[in-house]
Amino acid sequence: MVQERRILYEHLDVPDINTFDVFRQYDGYKHFEKTIQEYQPEEICDMVMKSGLKGRGGAGFSTGLKWSFVPRDIEPRYLCCNADESEPGTFSNRYVLERNPHLLIEGILICCYAMGISTAYVYIRGEFTLGKRMLDAAIEEAYQHGYLGKNILGSGFDLDIYTHPGAGAYICGEETGLIESLEGKRGQPRVKPPFPAVEGLFHKPTVVQNVETLCNLPFLMGNGVEWYTDIGRTYADTRANPPTPDPNTGTKLYCISGDVNKPGVYELDLGLSAEELIEVAGGVKGERVKAVIPGGSSAPILTHYELECRLDFTSLTLWKSMLGSGGIIVMNETRNIVDCLLNIMKFYAHESCGQCTPCRWGTPWVRDIVQRIADGEGRQTTIQRPKFGVAEGGRWGDTGEMEEVYEDLDLLESVANNIANVDTMTWNTICVFGIAVSWPAVSYLRKFRPEFEAAIREGKLVTLSVEEATVPPEENYAYQQRIVPQLFEA
Amino acid sequence: MSNELIQIETPFQFSDENQQEFDRLIQWYPVKEAAMLPTLHLAQKQVGYISPAVMEHVAALLEVSVMKVKDVVTFYPMFFEEPVGKYVIRVCYTLPCALRDCKLVLEHIKQKFEIDVASETDLAKGTTSDGKFTLLKSECLASCDVAPVVMINDDLYKNLTPQKMDEILDSLE
Repeated sequence: MVQERRILYEHLDVPDINTFDVFRQYDGYKHFEKTIQEYQPEEICDMVMKSGLKGRGGAGFSTGLKWSFVPRDIEPRYLCCNADESEPGTFSNRYVLERNPHLLIEGILICCYAMGISTAYVYIRGEFTLGKRMLDAAIEEAYQHGYLGKNILGSGFDLDIYTHPGAGAYICGEETGLIESLEGKRGQPRVKPPFPAVEGLFHKPTVVQNVETLCNLPFLMGNGVEWYTDIGRTYADTRANPPTPDPNTGTKLYCISGDVNKPGVYELDLGLSAEELIEVAGGVKGERVKAVIPGGSSAPILTHYELECRLDFTSLTLWKSMLGSGGIIVMNETRNIVDCLLNIMKFYAHESCGQCTPCRWGTPWVRDIVQRIADGEGRQTTIQRPKFGVAEGGRWGDTGEMEEVYEDLDLLESVANNIANVDTMTWNTICVFGIAVSWPAVSYLRKFRPEFEAAIREGKLVTLSVEEATVPPEENYAYQQRIVPQLFEA
Repeated sequence: MSNELIQIETPFQFSDENQQEFDRLIQWYPVKEAAMLPTLHLAQKQVGYISPAVMEHVAALLEVSVMKVKDVVTFYPMFFEEPVGKYVIRVCYTLPCALRDCKLVLEHIKQKFEIDVASETDLAKGTTSDGKFTLLKSECLASCDVAPVVMINDDLYKNLTPQKMDEILDSLE
């Protein structure tokens, strides 16, 4: 069985680790001290780039690459730490903030030293009152001990950290939405480019990083690039999971919830399969797995045929899904997929910021269609298509067979695909919220179509057995499209 | 002549403690407007909701138009424009909690207090007549491992059942 490798979470359960003294006993701030003594800022950026560290917030974008876009000649530059953890199924940042806030401060220190930043804002979601209290106390202590403020440890490096509370809007987790919100406005995402790295907070270059990404930095700097890149090479490549051209290094805080025996956060090397993760979390509660959401509710769903899929940033993209924030939600054989989709669509319809028309209108529309199906009022029509031409064995005017059409399912797919298209991988909205709505919606529908059809046919929610509800791999668009030969050869 | 028609709201002022807190945090930002969310949180903590008087005061403090403040208040679900109960109960209703029967907890609270779930436009229907509790459905509270969860004011309650919920609600003064 796969073993946990606790790096970020190593001291999480130590009593009073949230206080400066206990944190120091467990080598707290040692990595930062080493960094500031041994490395120049450019060397740190170089190491982060070489380490292959990817942003843990959702997009999985290379941290080193992001840093390289920041112009060094514009002052001031800012760091925004994204602690607006609101993706359904994700809860790893909360534990860091509540139990080990000094680790986050250490990560912020290293990032700011590398980027020449002297002001950092931590945007904490409004509901994290305890987390904010703990972090505020930790920041206070860090100031007292000279790890924040002017001329830190006599190095000439200054840093101030401020915590900024959000107010319950999911969209403020999007980096430009977060920046707008921090500026005291509605949290509506900006048109990109310019990207925040060039023009962000108060129109200055801004680095936006997730809590987990920043918490990786002390260990990366303290132990070196080789140590870090080794962590990602734990699992053997298989036919289902061939080597990816883009290495996934480091550990990930996998948050697993739903129908498993031991839900919680597990820190594991990136790239174990969904099957293995469920095993680590004590196995499925109930008889068997019906579906797994691999990366927070924004990620397209996986069927039980797809559980061998590796949970890392690159592999899941090949499987037409995404790792996102690493929130895994497991559903067992008793769950109705239509009902689950309805729950998620209600969430998105409530959280759309209202800026782009496809999302503002499309999201509630998708919700209403799913609601209609769940209420047993899904629309179905029988049509008779005209038959044309000799090739089809008919004469002009002949009519074909009577055909049953699930009107609402076609409508659902059409509306969702017009917010963001699954097949062409394009979207018609400013931010990726559109993707977070439509890709899951289409994936639920295409992969569990029999259950949707049954709900319309029977006029009520019908939970089919796992085999009956799932579209077989031959007809599964994601399963069929997942093999991308040129990528494998690279 | 009825003088009920003329209601002039008393102007809002921060308490001394909150004024100090405001003076401290306004220095964190190069632009005053950026202190909007923390300032509104502070005001809501003091009076329970964001009244027009609060909006006017905040607008004056941050040197922006009242409309901008209203704009922000209406965008974020955590700000209330009407009075709410002493205890605001937020029942998480997103998928991981739904898989763990948060519905039972919600229905139980509804029955116990004979109230409906408050909506953003109608908080009164979710508030008990004595003004003690307001019931809200909430989006993911990021505690899916201990689902179902409920947040009452600033405190999070985990692994709930209707019975546990009862005990917690009864213990609140």
